[in-house]
Amino acid sequence: MSRFITLSVNEVSRRVEVEPRETLLEVIRDHLGLTGAKLGCDIQVCGACTLLVSGKPVSSCSFLAVDADGCEVTSIEGLSCNGRLHRLQEAFIETGGLQCGFCTPGFILTAKALLDEQPHPSEEQIKKYMAGNLCRCGCYQEILDAIQKVAGRRAVQNG
Amino acid sequence: MKNFEYLEPRSVQEACQLLRQHGEEARIFAGGTSLSIVMKQGFFQPKYLVNIKKIPDLTGIRWDPKRGLTLGALVTHRELETSPLIQETFPILSQIEEDVANIRVRVMGTVGGNLAYAEPLTDLPQILIALEASIRVAGPDGDRTMSLEELFVDYYETSLRPDEILTEVLVPTPPPRTGIEYIRFSSSSVIDKPCLGTAVRFTLEEDLETVRTARVVLGCVAPTPLRARQAEALLEGKRYEVQRVKEAAAFASRECKPVSDLRGSEAYKREMVRVLVTRAAPRAFEKARAFRGQV
Repeated sequence: MSRFITLSVNEVSRRVEVEPRETLLEVIRDHLGLTGAKLGCDIQVCGACTLLVSGKPVSSCSFLAVDADGCEVTSIEGLSCNGRLHRLQEAFIETGGLQCGFCTPGFILTAKALLDEQPHPSEEQIKKYMAGNLCRCGCYQEILDAIQKVAGRRAVQNG
Repeated sequence: MKNFEYLEPRSVQEACQLLRQHGEEARIFAGGTSLSIVMKQGFFQPKYLVNIKKIPDLTGIRWDPKRGLTLGALVTHRELETSPLIQETFPILSQIEEDVANIRVRVMGTVGGNLAYAEPLTDLPQILIALEASIRVAGPDGDRTMSLEELFVDYYETSLRPDEILTEVLVPTPPPRTGIEYIRFSSSSVIDKPCLGTAVRFTLEEDLETVRTARVVLGCVAPTPLRARQAEALLEGKRYEVQRVKEAAAFASRECKPVSDLRGSEAYKREMVRVLVTRAAPRAFEKARAFRGQV
């Protein structure tokens, strides 16, 4: 029943043996040891398991690993570069966009997908795009500030 | 999740054959947003999962001024939301998609899956039925076309045979002087499934006052999307009048069959149907009067 799939995980090619019933989240956490993505609601509502597949945010709790064969997957572990945090990660720290941190990898990956699509989103666009990620600590304002900080910084750089 | 055999056909024909071979033990898999939930919860345990996402024929959005809009079954919610072609020809579809579930579900979930899963608490069917959409269905013996309305049979039940696949949705070019309004009403959080969804569509006569065609399609208030036929009959062939809209809304409220649940009581939903039909109709009417080739 099991089969081998090949994934590019954070730009490293990984060959993994999986069963059809295993989710991408299980493979990333249990087979590959990348535990940033979390299992939350298990029904695609909370966003804690968000990963980027081909650059787009998905609920990895509901994504069959076999279906991800050949895909490019980005997890929170893939955002820093040479020991330097991604500017979204820095901004979340600067604004205090987290308390317990459980939802943070999902929020940051979703925000990355948003900014890759729209470098200068309006506040309304940010809220709409991020609406499917839940933070039980209630850091929404600080998360919004963090994303706006990065979007604004880009605006200055580009301008 | 119980284990299953995972199959990846490369053509519609191959997929139909697999479905015929395995019968009720097989299930089509596309976006998986709904199916994964019931499989994880153990409500549904197929022995064979037929992933149709590798079939290239099932993708793409096409527009032909005569034929209308063709949506491949694998078109995602997010594609509908962001496609410039949709925004130009059927902006109503892009607008509603902004409010469907969340970004991750819209990225994964497909139009074909949304329809063929026959989930009653959803948005697209009401709008598509109001626009008189039809679907193309492939089976081992060839293709057939039917109106989308005929697809829905009961909660999570369709008229598709076990070896058939919904391949395309066809939305005809709207006739001149057509306007549609859809109101998605959520009684809890905005990212919840809708409590109800009401589509009203008018096509007017040349006088821009008389209703030639009326569609009042209600979602989430019956086992299937429901056309309020008495309400439609009351509006059709007559001058558009506020008083008549109020009467039609009262008909719609009686025609639907909501059940009490966590999103509202039966009485509440009936009342909201009345309110939303009354609210959607004037907007649909004004849009029909201002029609410029898109809905």
